[in-house]
Amino acid sequence: MVGPRWFVGFDSLMEFVAFIIAVAIAYQAFKGYRLTKQKTLLYVHFSFAVLSAGLLIDSLAGFLGILARAPKGLVAFTLVGYTIYFLAQVLAYVILIFAYVSQTRTLSTTSVSLSLVPLFGLVALQAAPVPAIKLLSPLIEYHPVSEIVLLFLVFYITVQTGLNYSATKDANAFLVFLGFLLLALSHLLFILIPFSSLLFVIGHLLQLFGFVSLLSMLLRVTRTK
Amino acid sequence: MMRKLPKYRSQMRIYVDIMRVIQRENNRAKPTRILYGANLSHDRLLKYLEELKALGVIEETDGEERLYKLTQKGVEFLNEFIRIDKFAGAFGFAI
Repeated sequence: MVGPRWFVGFDSLMEFVAFIIAVAIAYQAFKGYRLTKQKTLLYVHFSFAVLSAGLLIDSLAGFLGILARAPKGLVAFTLVGYTIYFLAQVLAYVILIFAYVSQTRTLSTTSVSLSLVPLFGLVALQAAPVPAIKLLSPLIEYHPVSEIVLLFLVFYITVQTGLNYSATKDANAFLVFLGFLLLALSHLLFILIPFSSLLFVIGHLLQLFGFVSLLSMLLRVTRTK
Repeated sequence: MMRKLPKYRSQMRIYVDIMRVIQRENNRAKPTRILYGANLSHDRLLKYLEELKALGVIEETDGEERLYKLTQKGVEFLNEFIRIDKFAGAFGFAI
């Protein structure tokens, strides 16, 4: 178990809420693709569809782990759920990055260089005195390596959405930027869990707020007359 | 900078530009108003107007003067397109 005992179940509940939001975004993107035949919208659809599947599996695995009532069962279920969720996140973010790259037809220097920022964190972690944070430790839930990979990917998207907001100054663009920024921060906190289990709680809260920010954008957009 | 404007407008964007001009003209637009509003050549305007009529999103009004108006389907399409455009724009994608 990674987080505090009192938090067991809340993380799964938050992921279930995030799953519903991700499905709603995937659906809106698909509606957009059907209307415009714009490929980037299809990529957004696939990205959030894959992400929602990962969130659902991890969330259900968490609930099943609680129902198993035995600590071993909880660990086994959450480990399987997290592994699938991790792979789903990697795929989802890679698809979204591909959408940005395919639109601009180039990797912008600013976004690539800014995306390398998490690598400095990686170097810093290697010098950390906490043994659990060493990269060669066995693969576990919220392992620093997997979280750094995710941070790296989400950070690239955050930079792209940030550049978009700075260019447009649009409220919807800000909400998307804020959403991905909070997701990136959540992965940063997950890397630092060995320092304090409370970071697991804060990380999950930030992740939920990130998805709520994306939901706010979706509600604003769909209410447009 | 994100959302660089494409070098040329997509066919979908031209359709929407034409429909927006018609909507702006209180849903009764002369071809010349559409031509200037949507920034099209005469030949291309006629081509796109025919395509939009075939799609059932605009129609020609009966009368002495040739006017174009949006159909109910056209109004619904335009509203949905605006939503999708805002959604895609929020992520930094141009349609």
